Amino acid sequence: MTGTAVMTGILPQEFAELQPFAGKWAKPTEYERAAERRSATPEQLKAFYDAILLRLPDILERIDRYPLGEVTGGDRLLLHMALSLAEIAPHVEFYKSDPHVPFAFKEERMFGMHSGIAD
Amino acid sequence: MNAQSKMPLLAPYPELGEAPIPVEPYLSQDYYDKEIEKIFRRDWLVVGREEEIAKPGDYKVKRLDFARTSVILIRGKDGKIGAFHNVCRHRGNKVVTETGGEETLGSNKAAVVTCRFHGWVYNAKGELVDVPQQQKFPACFDRAENGLIPIHVDSWAGFIFINLAETPSRTLTEFLGGVVEHFDGYPFDDITHCHTYYAHINCNWKTGMDAFCEGYHVPTIHAGSFPGLTDYWQGDVAFNGEHRSIAFYSNGMNPPTPVGTAANALFGASIALARDEPFPLPKLVNPGRHPNWGFEQTTVFPNFLIHVGAGLWFTHQFWPVAQGKCLWEGKYYLKAPKTNAQYWAQRYAVILQRNAWLEDTATMEDTQEALLSGVLKQMNLQDDEIMLRHQFHIVNGRVNGE
Repeated sequence: MTGTAVMTGILPQEFAELQPFAGKWAKPTEYERAAERRSATPEQLKAFYDAILLRLPDILERIDRYPLGEVTGGDRLLLHMALSLAEIAPHVEFYKSDPHVPFAFKEERMFGMHSGIAD
Repeated sequence: MNAQSKMPLLAPYPELGEAPIPVEPYLSQDYYDKEIEKIFRRDWLVVGREEEIAKPGDYKVKRLDFARTSVILIRGKDGKIGAFHNVCRHRGNKVVTETGGEETLGSNKAAVVTCRFHGWVYNAKGELVDVPQQQKFPACFDRAENGLIPIHVDSWAGFIFINLAETPSRTLTEFLGGVVEHFDGYPFDDITHCHTYYAHINCNWKTGMDAFCEGYHVPTIHAGSFPGLTDYWQGDVAFNGEHRSIAFYSNGMNPPTPVGTAANALFGASIALARDEPFPLPKLVNPGRHPNWGFEQTTVFPNFLIHVGAGLWFTHQFWPVAQGKCLWEGKYYLKAPKTNAQYWAQRYAVILQRNAWLEDTATMEDTQEALLSGVLKQMNLQDDEIMLRHQFHIVNGRVNGE
């Protein structure tokens, strides 16, 4: 693996308390993470934010054990969850946990293409 | 006139006037047709960055809907970039199938492109180098006369420009004029990690441009994503021919938040978050070296906005598609991250910027629809909207000229 852990969605044992959030938030692309955010309730955003923020320093330390762009296994799921935190952070920190960007162009009509590193 | 009127940005440019500008240029089909004929088909237009086609044989196809064509940009074995209409000289099929939509990237080791209809092969100079079953064509058919139809192409600071005119009236250097010196030394080539967003928007291309060319909207439109940038001011207005520059200063940055602060400590990648490290700028950018300088915006006429900040830069481009339709492309450039944690930090900054762009683009269709009512005849512009005023004068001069 990337193999087993990514397929089964099992986080490293040290992060077991985040396991209930992995099914929704360990998504490999910005497109999917944004879609999960839009389909979440404000309460779901806040619950995930509060839980993962406590472990953010540990996750960043973990993913930096790998060369850039080469995180594998359960740690790759943690990277995806950290990227989901980046995706929802403005909503919790600035938009009162509104799952949508307030007063915005319809998000589904804006497309992204990013050079370089795959999530 | 407003007795307390203060227009320090506009004051040195009395030729721009103080009167409202007309709405007609945003609504008239005739005006649009003239813009395409007299501007977009005659001037140099940015279509990419050199690093997108870095190696010999790399190519990029970009749609140019306003001209109902698309351009193949291909780097030859000699390192030179050729530009050609994506039209096969046989029966006109697209040589490169545009699988990528607006932009299709590809690479060919032999530095050729091959039409998949009947297999005609063209090299990076546009020469037709192979025709399957050529013996079945009549004697009058000459490969040498049937290369790809060329488009003028040139580069500045890594930006690839094309010009659709048969004979451009100006070289790229003449066209850019003072813009070249303005950006002298800015490390575009060193900050190349690109995050791109795009959308088709139902508005005139200028309605889109306008929304990005003034700071007046920041306290309202960006109250969500950039709550710390509301106390802003503009300065350093510079006009270089058709091109224009203006700087944005701010008395604040976004308030510290747990995730924003964590990301910013790993990589300063946002215009809304403070950066401490010094960053060398061209002498004409933030000439006073003011600590509250945020970024500067230069419009490369007609449709390309370059924003340079400290350690990051980003662009907007509005491509006319029809009178009331355009393609918006936003590209955000950062230095390549060195670690996975830096990559995470950059994504936070880019997502915040993406959301700000969703706030910007939200106004454009509403504005266009309201203008279509026909009830508004002119627009009132304040001092911070001087770039819109300059755009109107330049575009109008060209549309009504010769």
